[in-house]
Amino acid sequence: MIFSSLPILIVDMVGSVAMVIIAVLALNKARQLRELDHDNAIFLYLLWISTGFAIFAVSRSFSHILKQFLILTANAEVWHSISPYTGAVNTVSFMLVGLITLFFNQSWKINEKILSSREKLEETHIKLMSLNQTLEQKVVERTEMLTSSEHKARRILEQSLDTIVMTDENLMVAEINQAGTTLTGYKKSDMLDKKMSIGDFMAKSSEWQRFHNLLNTHEYILNEETDFLRPDRSQVRVLITGGIDYGAFGCGKSFHFIIKNINDKKQMEQQIAQADKLAALGEMSAGVAHEINNPLGIILGYTQLMLKEKSGFEEDLKTIEKHVKNCREVVSDLLSFSRKGGKEMGLVDVHKVVDGVVKFLGNHTDFRKVDIMLDLWDGERLLVKGHIQELTQVMINLMINACHAIEDAENGQIEVQTRKNDKDQVVICVKDNGTGIRKRYISRIFDPFFTTKPVGRGTGLGLSVGYGIIRRHGGEITATNRKEKGAAFTICLPVNDNPDTP
Amino acid sequence: MLLAGLLLPPDALAIQIHQGSEGIIVHQVGHLFFLLSMVVLVFIITGRNLNREKGWRMIQYSAILFVLWNLDTITAHFFDNQIGAVTVENLSLRRVKISAESNSEFLVHFYHALKLDHLLCVPALFLFYRGLTHILDREKHNQKTAGNTEP
Repeated sequence: MIFSSLPILIVDMVGSVAMVIIAVLALNKARQLRELDHDNAIFLYLLWISTGFAIFAVSRSFSHILKQFLILTANAEVWHSISPYTGAVNTVSFMLVGLITLFFNQSWKINEKILSSREKLEETHIKLMSLNQTLEQKVVERTEMLTSSEHKARRILEQSLDTIVMTDENLMVAEINQAGTTLTGYKKSDMLDKKMSIGDFMAKSSEWQRFHNLLNTHEYILNEETDFLRPDRSQVRVLITGGIDYGAFGCGKSFHFIIKNINDKKQMEQQIAQADKLAALGEMSAGVAHEINNPLGIILGYTQLMLKEKSGFEEDLKTIEKHVKNCREVVSDLLSFSRKGGKEMGLVDVHKVVDGVVKFLGNHTDFRKVDIMLDLWDGERLLVKGHIQELTQVMINLMINACHAIEDAENGQIEVQTRKNDKDQVVICVKDNGTGIRKRYISRIFDPFFTTKPVGRGTGLGLSVGYGIIRRHGGEITATNRKEKGAAFTICLPVNDNPDTP
Repeated sequence: MLLAGLLLPPDALAIQIHQGSEGIIVHQVGHLFFLLSMVVLVFIITGRNLNREKGWRMIQYSAILFVLWNLDTITAHFFDNQIGAVTVENLSLRRVKISAESNSEFLVHFYHALKLDHLLCVPALFLFYRGLTHILDREKHNQKTAGNTEP
């Protein structure tokens, strides 16, 4: 049967060219896929199979086109001679495609394993990242806590009003806060350079030896009282608590101490005890004075009656009268010491009192060799509520006491100072450069009948009376030894700024 | 007997002489192997549910067309080269004479249709190309999406 060869020829030629073009395009797509992910075994497989198809398409198309060309050009014999070779190549090419295709399942399994491993790797990576972030966050939190803790510790050390000292294992000062330098009077750099220990601050070395023994025995000391000696030779009463720190994170053994300044507290306790004692003495003095005053009045009355008539005992009676009057003065002073008010008070200008006393005493023979210096408050008038005569009496007593203290000194000086303090009090201070007060007498100096003067020179009631007067005025009187030479008596009285409210 | 066999051996005849029909047999086996590999590919794609994706579905269709193409070529080669039931003679540039051994018109027409095998293999290869294109587009899209969502 005869057919037109055109349909077969056209399909054969066009199909061959189309196969080559499509195979090359497919190979390009497979290459792009491979470029996207080099680890994907399926993409590698698709590249292989595309290559196989391309070889197959080129081989087959070439042989078909060559065949048609040779037949159409009447060279069929040539085609018959080469057709076994092109057919063999063609056979090999599609067998290759078939062979590659059979590896699809294995390629898929390998790819699944790769993907699974990659997924696990990514999960592990995410977990690691999370752990890393958690770790970083924890490090940040711990660092913040550590910084905060360090800051708090530093603040406590720096802001503490009590002394905090850290020493090394040999008890040499390693760290001390500002309160410590203020308390001891030494600079921190000096303490570190001179390798000072806490024992170097103590007034008595035997005390330090005792504390040292306690630390070695009990590893702590608790609320031990001692005196610190400052570089200016003044003493401060302190309370020490301390213990051993065996250290952490490789730090060596050290000692920590907390030292409280109890000087003011001790002084206050002593003042309270003094006030209590003087109050009790006042009560007793009032009773004694009252009981003695009446018999003295009777004795004096009868003595004066007898003096009016001649009896030959006038001289004896006058002696009795003189001593009875002396006794009455003592009793009167005792009553002044113990009196609990009653007299009306008015406004008193302190400077008028001071001026009056200085003018009055300036004419006295005992004061002619004394240099009296006035350091008076130049601000507003210092007004207090009280009795001018009583306050004048106190000032005279203090001035006479000061004069007696400096009577053997060559350049005797008495300084009277007035000022207003931040507690709204008028402060009158009488200082001398005399012998000062012995430490053991300071607590007794306001006691009635206490005197260090020779017999006959003083009754021991001057300061007691002064104390009683100042207390009645709502004030305080204290006696201290000056850092330099001499003693200082300080009177504090509540200020009265309003002249209309006496 | 054993000794005689060892001492007086006959010709070994180790190299076999091949007939001219071996070439077409090998070619047919090659087509069969290609066909079977395509069938395997079709079933693997179905078995792994890859045909839910358009790209792999097109590759599966491509494999089916290649199966049909292999059947076409195996059948055509069977009739002309293998059993010589059909002969083709080029009468001129425009005419070709196809004659069947038993003068069967059906066989002649059937063979003529089989000769248009490019109508199967070209679409098969085109579907394979389209399948790769879809897979490539999907992969690019996936990578872009993953790139946007990565921290």
